[in-house]
Amino acid sequence: MKLRMMASALAISVALAATGGLCTAPARAATLSGGFDVGPGGFQGNFNPLAATSGFTWLSIYFEPLVTYDEKLQKVVGVLADSYEVSPDQLSYTFKLTDAKWHDGKPFTAKDAKFTLGLAMDAKSGSVLAARLKAIASVEAPDDRTLVVKLSAPSASTLDTLTKVMMLPEHALASIPVDQLAKNSWWSTTPIGTGPFKFTKYVTDQYVELAANTEYRGGKPALERLINRYFANPAAAIAALRAGEIQFTYVDSNDVSTFKGDEAFKVIEGDSFVVNYLGFNHESPIWKDVRVRKALMHAINRDAIITSLYGGAAKPANCAYVADQLLPPGIDTYAYDPEKAKQLLAEAGWAQINGDKPITLLTYYTTPLATNVLAAVQAMLAQVGINIVPRAVDTPTYNSIVLNPKPDIAQFQLVYAGLQNGPDAGSINVGLNEKQIPPAGPNVVRARMPELNTALDTALAEPDASKRDARFQEVCKVMNASLPWATMWVANRYGVVSSKLKDFVWTPAPGGGPYAAHPEKWSIGE
Amino acid sequence: MLIALSMLIFLLLRLTPGDPIDAYIDPNIPMSPAQLTELRSQLGLDRPLPVQYLAWLREALSGNLGRSIQRMDQPVLSLVLSRIGPTVLLMGTALAIAIVAGITTGVISAVRRNSPADLSFSVLALVGISSPAFLSALVGLYVFAVRLNWAPSGGMLTPGAAFSVSDLLHHLVLPAALLSIAQAALVMRYMRASMLEVLNQDYVRTARAKGVAEFWVIAKHALRNALLPVVTLIGSTIGLAIGGAIFIESVFNWPGMGLLLVSAVETRDYPVIMGATLIIGGCVIVVNLLTDITYAVIDPRIKVG
Repeated sequence: MKLRMMASALAISVALAATGGLCTAPARAATLSGGFDVGPGGFQGNFNPLAATSGFTWLSIYFEPLVTYDEKLQKVVGVLADSYEVSPDQLSYTFKLTDAKWHDGKPFTAKDAKFTLGLAMDAKSGSVLAARLKAIASVEAPDDRTLVVKLSAPSASTLDTLTKVMMLPEHALASIPVDQLAKNSWWSTTPIGTGPFKFTKYVTDQYVELAANTEYRGGKPALERLINRYFANPAAAIAALRAGEIQFTYVDSNDVSTFKGDEAFKVIEGDSFVVNYLGFNHESPIWKDVRVRKALMHAINRDAIITSLYGGAAKPANCAYVADQLLPPGIDTYAYDPEKAKQLLAEAGWAQINGDKPITLLTYYTTPLATNVLAAVQAMLAQVGINIVPRAVDTPTYNSIVLNPKPDIAQFQLVYAGLQNGPDAGSINVGLNEKQIPPAGPNVVRARMPELNTALDTALAEPDASKRDARFQEVCKVMNASLPWATMWVANRYGVVSSKLKDFVWTPAPGGGPYAAHPEKWSIGE
Repeated sequence: MLIALSMLIFLLLRLTPGDPIDAYIDPNIPMSPAQLTELRSQLGLDRPLPVQYLAWLREALSGNLGRSIQRMDQPVLSLVLSRIGPTVLLMGTALAIAIVAGITTGVISAVRRNSPADLSFSVLALVGISSPAFLSALVGLYVFAVRLNWAPSGGMLTPGAAFSVSDLLHHLVLPAALLSIAQAALVMRYMRASMLEVLNQDYVRTARAKGVAEFWVIAKHALRNALLPVVTLIGSTIGLAIGGAIFIESVFNWPGMGLLLVSAVETRDYPVIMGATLIIGGCVIVVNLLTDITYAVIDPRIKVG
């Protein structure tokens, strides 16, 4: 390796030395460059918030929703809505809108909000939110500053979903047929929002540039420009960060240690809000006995994996949640106990059920960390007599296998995956409720557990916000006992930012947010 | 040949698990079965494979390579054509570096056989041939962009800056130099072997006996004849260079065909993959033709046509 490195260095050093002084990247004061779409929260090349499954960190800099999460992802706060009220029956949401202007100077009104919600609820627009907004019965704009959203049934996830609905200008988009909207070039050429920065240009596959919206209602932004550099992988973004070409990027957890202690950078750490699990394919007969599922939990030393591979930056999960307010007292912690695992397997008759026949474990995680995790899990399970064979594939391949309405069980008797578990606790419903079994939804493990369905449905329909945590504790309790998944952990995620940046807010939110990042306050010091 | 290539690529794509819709779905955001069916229908993915292929071929023959699925319906032809320039620039520069470096070191090695210079160049060539593009790209990026800060870590131009040739060259030199390593090493080895063979020929001995200066013996009599197999080699390594360019473009975010192809494969953007491979295949055929023509120019014994 050293020899190759030296040889490569020798071979090109002369050429580089000859041009090294030709040009250096010009210093651009008041311009912040970053890899805003790097990592799992990013969505490079997508400019349409209706079609965004992620990438909200960047989109929410020039578009804005009515409401968003605060930077700690704990509560919903107003953005284009100054305030909102929810009726006691949880069926009516009334938003009082702020006095804002689009980037072209026209006023933002409740008609724009109604128009946007109409698009978001219509699957023909390419909206990925249509299924999540189906509880909305009507949207009314009684005046320019009031928007009333009425639901057909209480839905605890309504506000969470509305945080992802970026407001769009009716005057710019109304003339485009709804079914042509997703393909329209407006999104990547002349989009206008109400945010603190305005879209100026997109250089294909290279970067997106925004300029300060000097008329922003929250004050003139401190930065003049923002640049979102595109990278083919996080490693390339890290190289650019170290070279000083960008001031911020997401980084994989195994790269974090190289930045800690370096005064030139600050590491931002936060809850990923993604629970990782080994999902049992419940259509496979080998997992029918809950004792087998419990044996898996006892056979895996999660604490050792968290300590040695995650550097301690993960919390073991004994249901879908790790947040204290969602954990009921007295749930089983499934301590590492290989002898107990063997005993449970023997009681269940594992030798007859499957014995040492190989079990395919399918995953879309292809990072070195995931590879090491699965190697450790494989070794631990082998010690109790469960022979798993990890198979890592790309996301389209994974989806084509697990979302197939008529799946080949042998291809994924077990999956290693992650699912969003917050900030809205109801997010896990899509992965566990029987109503979400493919093709209806992404309950890829085909969990059919009536008690769990009831617990999830009850929690989602709970109209009293003060009782909602208790309802989700019940979900946790059922999951902990019946184990639709062998829940593993909730890991932290990281961003690294130049120490020169001031008032910069970023958090590793699922899908990139959105959250109240206040980009108008970001600045670069000397 | 191109039709056979397109058929092969079409079949391989359809045999690959996952389609453009599978690449698009997020497990956290469910889409209704009706919505998924409609999306597949809009893309024509629900039609029988022969119908899909013939529909594509009919359009391709009239110059329409379809529209990108993942890039907001952009025409594939213009998308691919816009990427040819950066790739040709990168590969052309790399090829020029490889030819100059490979031929120069090959000739020196042959003329100074068994000297320290010959040994050094031979070792370097061995290392160069043994270095896969993805490895040399990553090592080069780390050493020259991150540690030494001699070159930018990626991209073709400084984001937000006005276009300038010096800025372009500054971004070009590192990926081009890294891409040239394997080709330069191959050229050097072939050049050395070919030169050694030619230097033992009678006509070289005759030239020396006539009192021709050694420089002219090598430059005029030996080099031209020794170049023949090297020219063939250069033509046949274009495929290798395209493979290397795909890695280099990915690592350096160079906006060429390689980067386009990689992102298209990741998102199963069938029309873009088909269009890009077809154009690349066409380019390889053209380069091989040019190689044959060049061969005829260098060797008067060979006549074209």
